[in-house]
Amino acid sequence: MANARQSRPAEIIRAGLKGKSGRSFWRSLDELAGTPAFRAYLEAEFPALAPGPFDVDRRALLKVMAASLALAGLTGCSGEADEAALPYVEAPEHVVPGRPKWYATAVTLAGFALPALGKTHVGRPVKLEGNPAHPATRGATDAFLQASLIGLYDPDRSQSPRHLGRPATWSALDAAMSSRMAEVERRRGEGFRLLTGAVTSPTLVRQIDALLQRWPEARWHALEPVNDDLAANATQRVFGRPLDRHLMLDQAELIVSLDDDILGPGPRQAVHGRRWSERRRAFQQGEGECRLFVAEPTPSITGSMAGDRFIASHSRIAALAQAVAHALGVETASAPELAERERGWIGRAVAALRARPGRALFTLGTHHDPETQALGLIVNERIGALGATLRFTEPVSLPADGLRSAEALAGDMAAGRVTTLAIIGANPAYAMPADVDFRAAMETVPFRLHAGLYYDETASLCHWHSPLAHELESWSDARAVDGTVSLIQPLIRPLYAVRPLHAVLGNISGKTASDLESVQATWRALWGDQLEVRWRDALVRGFVPESAAPFVTPTVAGRTVSPPDEPRTEGLTVVLRPDPTIWDGRFANNAWLQETPKPLTKVTWDNVILVSPQLAKHRGLANGDEVALTAGGRTITGPAWIHPGQETDTVALTLGYGRRRAGRVAEGLGYDAFAIRLRDSPWRLGGAAIRATGAKLEVASTQRHQAMDGFDFVRTVDASDFEAAKRGATPGQETGQPRPRQPTFYPPRQWDSPSWGMAIDLDLCIGCNACVVACVAENNVPVVGKSLVAQGREMHWLRVDLYHEGDPADPKSHFQPVPCMHCEQAPCEMGCPVNAAVHSFDGLNLQVYNRCVGTRTCSSYCPYKVRRFNWYDYTGDDPEPIRAMRNPDVTVRSRGVMEKCTYCVQRISEARIAAKIAGRPIRDGEVRTACQQACPTRAITFGDIIDDQSEVSRRKASPRNYSLLEEANTWPRTTYLARIETARSDEEGGME
Amino acid sequence: MTELAATPRDRYAAVGEEIIRIPLNYPNRLAWWICFGFALLLLLMFFISAGVLFWYGVGVWGNNIPVNWGIAISNYIWFLGIGHAGTLISAMFLLLHAHWRNSLNRFAEAMTLFAVVCAGLYPILHLGRPWFFYWIAPYPNTMTIWPQFKSPLTWDFFAVLTYLTVSLLFWYIGIVPDLAAVRDRARKRRQQVFYGIAALGWRGSAWHWARWRQSYRLTAAIAVPLVVSVHSEVSLLFAAGPIPGWASTVFPPYFVLGAAFSGFAVVSMIAILLRHALGLGDIVRERHLDLLGIFLLATGLMTAYGYWAEVFDALYSGGKQEIGTLLDRLTGIYAWSYWGAVVGNFLPLQLLWFRQVRTNPFLLFLIALSVTIGMWFERYMLLVTSLYRDWLVSSWGEYHASFWELSLFAGMLGVFLVPFLLFVRFLPVISSFEVKETLFEEERDA
Repeated sequence: MANARQSRPAEIIRAGLKGKSGRSFWRSLDELAGTPAFRAYLEAEFPALAPGPFDVDRRALLKVMAASLALAGLTGCSGEADEAALPYVEAPEHVVPGRPKWYATAVTLAGFALPALGKTHVGRPVKLEGNPAHPATRGATDAFLQASLIGLYDPDRSQSPRHLGRPATWSALDAAMSSRMAEVERRRGEGFRLLTGAVTSPTLVRQIDALLQRWPEARWHALEPVNDDLAANATQRVFGRPLDRHLMLDQAELIVSLDDDILGPGPRQAVHGRRWSERRRAFQQGEGECRLFVAEPTPSITGSMAGDRFIASHSRIAALAQAVAHALGVETASAPELAERERGWIGRAVAALRARPGRALFTLGTHHDPETQALGLIVNERIGALGATLRFTEPVSLPADGLRSAEALAGDMAAGRVTTLAIIGANPAYAMPADVDFRAAMETVPFRLHAGLYYDETASLCHWHSPLAHELESWSDARAVDGTVSLIQPLIRPLYAVRPLHAVLGNISGKTASDLESVQATWRALWGDQLEVRWRDALVRGFVPESAAPFVTPTVAGRTVSPPDEPRTEGLTVVLRPDPTIWDGRFANNAWLQETPKPLTKVTWDNVILVSPQLAKHRGLANGDEVALTAGGRTITGPAWIHPGQETDTVALTLGYGRRRAGRVAEGLGYDAFAIRLRDSPWRLGGAAIRATGAKLEVASTQRHQAMDGFDFVRTVDASDFEAAKRGATPGQETGQPRPRQPTFYPPRQWDSPSWGMAIDLDLCIGCNACVVACVAENNVPVVGKSLVAQGREMHWLRVDLYHEGDPADPKSHFQPVPCMHCEQAPCEMGCPVNAAVHSFDGLNLQVYNRCVGTRTCSSYCPYKVRRFNWYDYTGDDPEPIRAMRNPDVTVRSRGVMEKCTYCVQRISEARIAAKIAGRPIRDGEVRTACQQACPTRAITFGDIIDDQSEVSRRKASPRNYSLLEEANTWPRTTYLARIETARSDEEGGME
Repeated sequence: MTELAATPRDRYAAVGEEIIRIPLNYPNRLAWWICFGFALLLLLMFFISAGVLFWYGVGVWGNNIPVNWGIAISNYIWFLGIGHAGTLISAMFLLLHAHWRNSLNRFAEAMTLFAVVCAGLYPILHLGRPWFFYWIAPYPNTMTIWPQFKSPLTWDFFAVLTYLTVSLLFWYIGIVPDLAAVRDRARKRRQQVFYGIAALGWRGSAWHWARWRQSYRLTAAIAVPLVVSVHSEVSLLFAAGPIPGWASTVFPPYFVLGAAFSGFAVVSMIAILLRHALGLGDIVRERHLDLLGIFLLATGLMTAYGYWAEVFDALYSGGKQEIGTLLDRLTGIYAWSYWGAVVGNFLPLQLLWFRQVRTNPFLLFLIALSVTIGMWFERYMLLVTSLYRDWLVSSWGEYHASFWELSLFAGMLGVFLVPFLLFVRFLPVISSFEVKETLFEEERDA
């Protein structure tokens, strides 16, 4: 090995050729590279980035990385045999460059599958879209799914095994593992511990089960920092066993949510968003109602969609639940003392619940006390929700005891009961509560293996690190939140010298099997002879039909619950939340997600300490003031950020930042909220204090002004007016009907079909950002980083504006996605001196990049400021993998040109070409823009506005339809449908 | 100072001597070198700043979305505006037979020329891809594509190019007889060759004078409408955009008057400096300062009317957005630029009602300097306060000029000063033959 490292590749090749003379040919570099010396050289030298990526300057790193990619063909993924690999000597018949191929697959979040269709160009995945056939999501996606593409191509991913932090070879790792595992085998697994994240993969469960059977003394622990433990405890209390709750939002005409962000980010967002939007749309068409009552301490997406939002501190949620239960006649509930305002809200909510038996749903945040949640389940029984709007299945994700078991592991380690620790895909060195010293406990374990996507905090504390393959480059399976199994198939051969998840398990058990073999073994056991047919069918569909977890009808075993009377603590209450874009920190190195503005603050690249406007006023805090937050004797510092609508004495934090070792993207961002999290109270801390340090921190927000200031950017209509308008009554201005167009200097054009337009239903938009990230992925939108976002130079073609209306202490919040309006009277086109901004025959406002000289007049004249300028060369020095990720159908823009939303003109062209070849017009719905495809609530409609039968025309015919900034007289093609508001006085038992 | 001789002939000779001696035997060389050295440093800064700009891209400036334009465009308007007084003095007053302009026109024209050069550079520098700036020009090309004639920028290009060409021609035609005079007095071979070539073989024959007068007055006739049209056109860069605070019909006259105002201010400053530095008190007399002061006051008051009209416009429109922009100007974070403009432009100006102030070179200089700075504030204010808070509250953002923007501004002063100092050093700064003409006419009238 030492010899090999010293010799240069040329010498090895020469050595390989030595002794051969005359007509003795070597056929390929591969054959030469087959010599052990050469392979050892490559393994030792290239994939590893000695002395570690964190010490190398960026350009040098990129060069090395490019080299490692170039050599990836030679290393051949370090001897991992590929089952179906064929040399790409002659192009296979069905692979046509320029014509994408689609594969159904999935990525996971917190163990749950997010089903996807992956678009690949000549073997490179370039875009993930929702799988419309999937029974749970039905094509809905979220920002995490959309952004996992850049996770695949992330150049900071771990690219080689390491031993004690130094690059090692796979053979060395395997040797160390086999000797260690022989020892474990001998001791029947005693002292062996496996730590994973939440697991839904049947194959992984099978592998772990097999392992535990073989080694009865071994233990499996799991760490999922954001989990449903407490909800499971609640079902345990009420039904006698842990169950998964499934909210049937499509059937719930009334939802009363106590601090439960059901529409918020997380693995269930796509499913919940789709279900809720179906209910909402039915309501828009006059079928039933869609009402939402929310009480919460800190604003959430669900709260901003609520018709009746009430601000309640975390500690009052239990009392509110008691009050609802008591009012509905739950015997065990006592009547708590309520304040006047609380009584009003409870009165309205209870009256509404009472009036809709079997059609209402009462939910409690899964981070609340299990007793309180249990009370919520009993209320649901009372209102007839069980089996109707609230259903249950056996737990989909395993092990069911979540976060707790990792804490137990820490105790065992500290007690010296662990001798071998294998951590797969979890990051306990970062994501453990502050009062569990996992790091120190870990140090006592004699053999520690880490397998993960990144060389992270945990990896650096382990003896061995085994780089894990990304889900998009390996075989696996996983269940969606409803239990439906998705087969995860690779869209690409591994980019780096990494090992798939199931192979790592094989590595531990000593059974070498490829990931494909492992997954097939699972399904062979289930399907037997039918494997071939059903496997193929499942791969094509992207999921196994009829594999959803069956609903169970649990019987209520115990109605005696006693929600704790949470004491009113002195000082501030801290509530913790997963971060809406980087979750628990696992996406910290995902540049797309970092640059995505948080839905309710529009902050990027940071987590902030959210304070209420009242508290900020009282303490004299402004956005960006550094504050030190002390809770439970621990202190963190970060920038304060004023959050309109937050409870006065509540401070909200998000997890996931302050990563110490994650990659270059995550480096130095935010504060670490895990540093004050407690094992017994992971979501709430009482008795906190904040103090301004006097420093000012830069926070990159994409929207610093969120007050609507009396403008009508987001219009709302009253539900009763809307009804009247639908019946044909003359719509008033407040119903959002467009005012007549003003005269214009330039003559209007005549438009032939198809002529494109878009309608965005603000009544459905939940501001989740799926569209934003989808647009970034589809259109090769560059990431610019924190400082440029702070300078107002973000590149997003589609942004979601957030507006607050009314009193900052208790505002109404609205989301408004803003793509290019494709104005028929576009000021940008008039302003451009070089004809770079022009109108197409089919009604698009186009930007011709190679004609643009960068005067920026178009942007100055744009009333909507949707244009984005390449102030620098943002793409020229992209690392090789990022280039490989680019959508080949979309130009990568150079420095000095303007760009903007094109209505995904490449998709329009594709459809037009297909239609032309087939000799037919483009069908309605054939062109789906990236944002439209991604939207979980189907808020965006796109199509031909000349055809009055098209879906978009029908939407635009709604009395709710209006143009943004009509007074600018630009005649936008993108129009909005006003939000429908139900006046509070309409509520039964309305009080205020 | 040369005492004016008794006979008219001697007086003509004295005027000629006083002006023509300067290029041949420059007085006060040390001061010139100090100024020139400073100007060269500024020019170096220009090249460095432009180099950085071209290498990295416009991102080195503080611009962003929504404030796409910054100092570059406001300076473009400012520099171009300064140029206007030169043309106004030389061409319009020539045609109006206001002979007092003969003591001022030469250096005012030179100022115009170099200011237009500075102005013309800015739009090119501010481009995202400056190497394609010529795409704005209508030229036969393989792409078979014309500029977009609806765009104010296309017309900016024509305006600046036309203005540059006409200013250069007018200035050069005007200087030819004086160059011949310098040639005739030159003793050194180098000077003889340089001025000889530059004088284009001028012999002062009656034919020459007749042709010269034709072409000079013709060029003047072309130049005069440009004073109005060029800055009207430039104002459309703002006025044509549907941005609150921009889309206003008052802009063209407002810009033209502001341009003349700032131009007269700079002409006054240059006149006072040259008069002092080169001892030209006999030629640029108190009467000239008085007249400059009167024009400064007059154009200043007209500009003030523009301010008022703008406020009225916003209030009369009743538009929430327009009134919002007005309030942003008066009270927003860029209020300093609005009040800076109001104070700089109009407060010290009121002193010019008094003749004693107008004829006091020191006071007039300070007032003119205040106006020059005030007008810079005005251009900046008009641009930034409209863009930083336009239609949608969500896209509001602030703009702060970066170091490289400010250094380019300083460098651009070098681009102005270096050729101007060379002009002062090597060319007749005042039209000697036209001053003689004035003398003749004065005596004839007497």
